[in-house]
Amino acid sequence: MGGRADPACWSRRALLAGIGGTGALALTGCGPARRGRDNTLVVGLTYDLDTLNVYSTGFLGDVEAAVVEGLLAPDEHARYVPVLATEVPTLANGGIQLTDGGKGMTITYKLRPGVLWHDGQPFTSADVEFTWRAVKNPAFIAESKDGTDEIVAIETPDPLTVICRYGRVSPTFATTLFTFGILPRHLLEGVDLNTAPYNERPIGTGPFRVTAFKRGQYVLTERFPNYWRRDASGRRLPYLDRLIFKIIPNSNTLMTQIRSGELDLVTQTPYDQAKQMRGMPGVELLRAPLLSWQHLDFNMRNPLLADRRLRLAIAHAIDREPLVRAQGGFPIPIQSPVVPVFDFFDPSVRAPAFDPATARRLLDEAGFRPGSDGVRQRGADRLAFRFLVQSGKGNDELAQQVIIAQLKAIGIDAFADNRTGVAYRQARYTGQYDLNYANWVTGADPIYSRFYATKGSNNGQKYSNPALDRILQAMEGTLDPAERRCQGFAMQRILLHDLPSIPITSNVAVVTKRAGLAGFTPNPTNMTPFVGCAFWRWQA
Amino acid sequence: MSARLLLGRLAAAVPLLLGISLILFAVVHLAPGGPLDVYADNPSVTPAALERLAEAYGLKEPLPVQYAMWLKATVAGDWGYSIRTGRPVLTEVAERLGPTLMLAGAAAALAFVLAVALGTLAAARAGRWVDRVIDALTLGGLSLPSFWLALVLQYAFAVRLGWLPSAGMETIGASSFGDRLAHLALPATVLAIVNAASWTRYIRAGMIDVLSRDYIRTAYAKGMSERTVLLRHGLRNAIVPAISVIALDLAGLVSGAVITEAVFAWPGIGSLFVQSMDGRDYPVLMGVLLMGSAAVVLANIMADLVQAVLDPRLRDG
Repeated sequence: MGGRADPACWSRRALLAGIGGTGALALTGCGPARRGRDNTLVVGLTYDLDTLNVYSTGFLGDVEAAVVEGLLAPDEHARYVPVLATEVPTLANGGIQLTDGGKGMTITYKLRPGVLWHDGQPFTSADVEFTWRAVKNPAFIAESKDGTDEIVAIETPDPLTVICRYGRVSPTFATTLFTFGILPRHLLEGVDLNTAPYNERPIGTGPFRVTAFKRGQYVLTERFPNYWRRDASGRRLPYLDRLIFKIIPNSNTLMTQIRSGELDLVTQTPYDQAKQMRGMPGVELLRAPLLSWQHLDFNMRNPLLADRRLRLAIAHAIDREPLVRAQGGFPIPIQSPVVPVFDFFDPSVRAPAFDPATARRLLDEAGFRPGSDGVRQRGADRLAFRFLVQSGKGNDELAQQVIIAQLKAIGIDAFADNRTGVAYRQARYTGQYDLNYANWVTGADPIYSRFYATKGSNNGQKYSNPALDRILQAMEGTLDPAERRCQGFAMQRILLHDLPSIPITSNVAVVTKRAGLAGFTPNPTNMTPFVGCAFWRWQA
Repeated sequence: MSARLLLGRLAAAVPLLLGISLILFAVVHLAPGGPLDVYADNPSVTPAALERLAEAYGLKEPLPVQYAMWLKATVAGDWGYSIRTGRPVLTEVAERLGPTLMLAGAAAALAFVLAVALGTLAAARAGRWVDRVIDALTLGGLSLPSFWLALVLQYAFAVRLGWLPSAGMETIGASSFGDRLAHLALPATVLAIVNAASWTRYIRAGMIDVLSRDYIRTAYAKGMSERTVLLRHGLRNAIVPAISVIALDLAGLVSGAVITEAVFAWPGIGSLFVQSMDGRDYPVLMGVLLMGSAAVVLANIMADLVQAVLDPRLRDG
């Protein structure tokens, strides 16, 4: 697949090929030499770390993913693979059993034998049971306690078996809790997790162990010599001796350090900086999909926007190509709210195509005629809409300007009414807007009912379609992947017919890496690419 | 300045700081956004979870109650815990103070030496070409945005020449005194240039004023060398008015050179402030701001003290 392909032409297959690691945009000659380091990889982090506890950090756990492991982890296709468990529990392999006549379930994990914590203690089922209790503990201020309440009890009949009893059927059980990471019981039992030294020096079972954490500066990790995983030839992983995370919040400096050879890898390069790195010798740019998409939402409380003809007209007015261009050419145009990484993505669904003539005809038919100022109106109803975006999000504000211009072309006056933080959130959920351009980020098991079900916790649009509610319930209540896929297809058809939200682009992580780094696999999920760092190595 | 006066000044600083703290608290909390904003896009953090977090951080109390609670604890020496990291605010601030003092000290020393040398030279040659060159240089130094200067220096010395590290405080895992100095060179130079430019102008103005005095003419008439006249009689008097400006700038340096620290990834108070502002980490913000205010108030008192030491006429004012 060609890295220079027009972004608009990226198909799902091309995307997946890109994920497979061949999606290099630039690969030329040799650039600045890495400065005096042997078998060490220096990574630039764009944010200052708050804590290294996976359950309380407000960021993605880049460092944590190299140090702490869970029972399962999503791979580059957002499919779960076993890590500290020996297999992913399913109905087919008996790992999941329905109880109470299908109202509850029991999940049995078989744990990998011979796994050691970084301090040499053996990893056992007691650690898994402890993790559940620790995160569930109301005194622990965690970012997310998702998944803890669904489990009623955990039994550990032997050191390598964990039996979790669920009060209901929860097909998304793998999204949280034990996937995030397992906490060491022998170090944390009876300790206050809010202030524990663990938060700065986490002890995990992962390929690298933390040897120093200097606040505001860096995290130094070293190869864990007793790591359990081996490569195909039987060699003990990881390949690298050291992984250093440097904290460099200034994006200019981040790129300067790549240029000067002081940094080897940045996994989330800001779009504007990435543009400058194109063609830089010895440096590769990879465009890695993320489970995050941009969409234009309608407030269905607005009687004008409740008319599907109007939403359809607006959808026809949107041209994704200039939107992508305004953002450095990096985002990927999409046709469905399902990011094309998932197996329930329906490649046949299409969002309304860019067609201003059709858009104008639809508005004419609905009775809206251009007024003296070019804005359409029908009696007292004027097509002027408050357009909400979260202030300070540069790319969103750019896209907003493009969309405003595109709507103006069909006689709709959208005017920016942007807000920050809490005010933005409040406006979004109480309906103080007409149009809202924003993004959603999901885990590897997205729960779409949050956004689109009548009672969805993130449905601030007041969109409601009972038929879709039933489909979402079926989709999110089944343990059968084929059934889930079928319901997922149905969901996409309804959403693209009703158009409560127009899918626009999928976000990408632009990875800037030194060309000599091999074995790097992007990961679109919140587990970050560092989940695969044991396999990274320098090529001679 | 007598001891009584000094004590009076210190006592007056207490209500001043109290007033400042009230204003800071109001500004920080009334600014749009809050510590839980990072979760705005994250659908896995449910509204119920947000409520729970707001409760846990005491954000649900009315603002006056929050202020009273904060003040009571702060006076008792408990500056609270960071919302971002869960660590004590005092620890957070204390560990950033060292790097900031190191950077500020190096920059101030460098700037002071530059300013005294250039300011004196310019005054001694007032109106001639040396003066004009120095004038142009200081104007340049004052007008250059520090982030731009920083980028240019990074590009020249780290990317093109490869002589100096572009950012950070030490080579990870191989730190030494020389290594620290190498890391200090670029940020200290940027900060020094900006400050030296303004200080040079103050010292030049002070010197020109002093050099027109009768006692300078007398000193020359006695047959003293220009060097002695300039340094012993001129500079010592000219520097007094410049001291208060320099002292205030020093307070600014200590409370963190926000831009320079950010560009050079220098782990000081300035970086801490930016991150805390981004995350609306109220307890840390209040700690940093209050410390900065205290530094300014103290610097003022110090400036008076130093002036008194340098100028006997002010000693018993």
